[in-house]
Amino acid sequence: MLAFQRLLARPLGAAASKTSPAAYACCATRLYATTDSNGARFRQAGLTKENVPRLDKVDSILDFTELSKGKTLDQPKLFPAHRPTEAVMNTVTEIVDTPLTTAEQARLLKKTLVLKRVVNMNGKGKQPSMYALVVVGNGKGLAGYGEGKDEEPSRAIFKATNRAIKNLRFFDRYDDRTISMDIEHKFHATKLELRSRPPGFGCRANHYIHEICRCIGIQDLSGKVRGSRKPMNVIKATFEAFSNQKMPQDIAKMRGKKLADVQSVYYGSH
Amino acid sequence: MPRVYDLCARIQNGFRSRLQTIAIPETKMNLAICSVLYREGFLSSVTRGNHVGPDAQYTPTTNENVATRRLWLSLKYKDNMPTLNQLSVISKPSKKVTFSVNELKSITSGRRAKFIKPLQPGEIAVVNTNRGVLELQEAIKKNVGGEMLCRAS
Repeated sequence: MLAFQRLLARPLGAAASKTSPAAYACCATRLYATTDSNGARFRQAGLTKENVPRLDKVDSILDFTELSKGKTLDQPKLFPAHRPTEAVMNTVTEIVDTPLTTAEQARLLKKTLVLKRVVNMNGKGKQPSMYALVVVGNGKGLAGYGEGKDEEPSRAIFKATNRAIKNLRFFDRYDDRTISMDIEHKFHATKLELRSRPPGFGCRANHYIHEICRCIGIQDLSGKVRGSRKPMNVIKATFEAFSNQKMPQDIAKMRGKKLADVQSVYYGSH
Repeated sequence: MPRVYDLCARIQNGFRSRLQTIAIPETKMNLAICSVLYREGFLSSVTRGNHVGPDAQYTPTTNENVATRRLWLSLKYKDNMPTLNQLSVISKPSKKVTFSVNELKSITSGRRAKFIKPLQPGEIAVVNTNRGVLELQEAIKKNVGGEMLCRAS
């Protein structure tokens, strides 16, 4: 198709039509490289509307089906070349309830932030299992976290990732790089202080907050975690803090004022 | 006469209990701060009134009815959220905070002055100046400094 379009652009289109395979019309779907009278070579010179290959019809020579079925001297393979799909662990085989396509899901930034061994005491004894907390984001405002527990760490991470993709939500950013106001948030015993910073500052905060900001797409932030620094609670606190942000637009609407963003006009990173 | 923190506490508590109107003692300072809040859009209305309710008609304040005089503020809410979350005192009798115009300007531009945190987007500060009780931005426009009474967010 592309060659056809390229051909249209060339002034030698007239020459191409001269070598149009009207002569080959009998063997309709065959297209060969042709040369015109000037000696210039076209790869698919004969590609016109009439000669577009019918791809639903199988051609005896050009289409290869079952290459040498049983014509080799080798012994037939006893084991199948592909493992059965049930045993494949790495692919996203579970259907996750999101509007994102599988391709988009694969392109998300996934980061396992917490992976620890937890134990459940039963009458039968200690039942160990692995707990995973995964943060997922696309770097453009969408992010979410998910927790998963399973006997095997890889399966726990897989469960957590799926839950994280299901829990994706959009976070508003100022200028697509930082938060709009300084936030102070308390979650259980974790107190967060997050401050917005000018462009080029970087994300200088707790390493869990840093990873979350990378997934959301916040590039400039300064912050401090006071009180408990338990990883699980720091992550949950950050997500809660970002969710409960007050946007300047909403404040202006509530008070009946007009909002004018002077900083982005003068100093914005556009 | 009641200090600034009395007004701050009443207004904050009113917003937290999702009240429609609040009655506060009628003084010049209270009226001035409430009119600043009204102009900034935190309150729906500020009216004079009785201890029972706002005045239907104009009633002058006389020696007989001065004890019952109140200021009625009607509070504003949007989407089940109050317009004012926090009204905190800055200048206290134990530690008075008086700013010059340059210090006021640095507070608005995100730098702290005299251990007072800078203003966030959407925050208001009320300043008592020679030209009256003004909002911080108005004081900068008039090029006057003064005592920082309270901040609202």
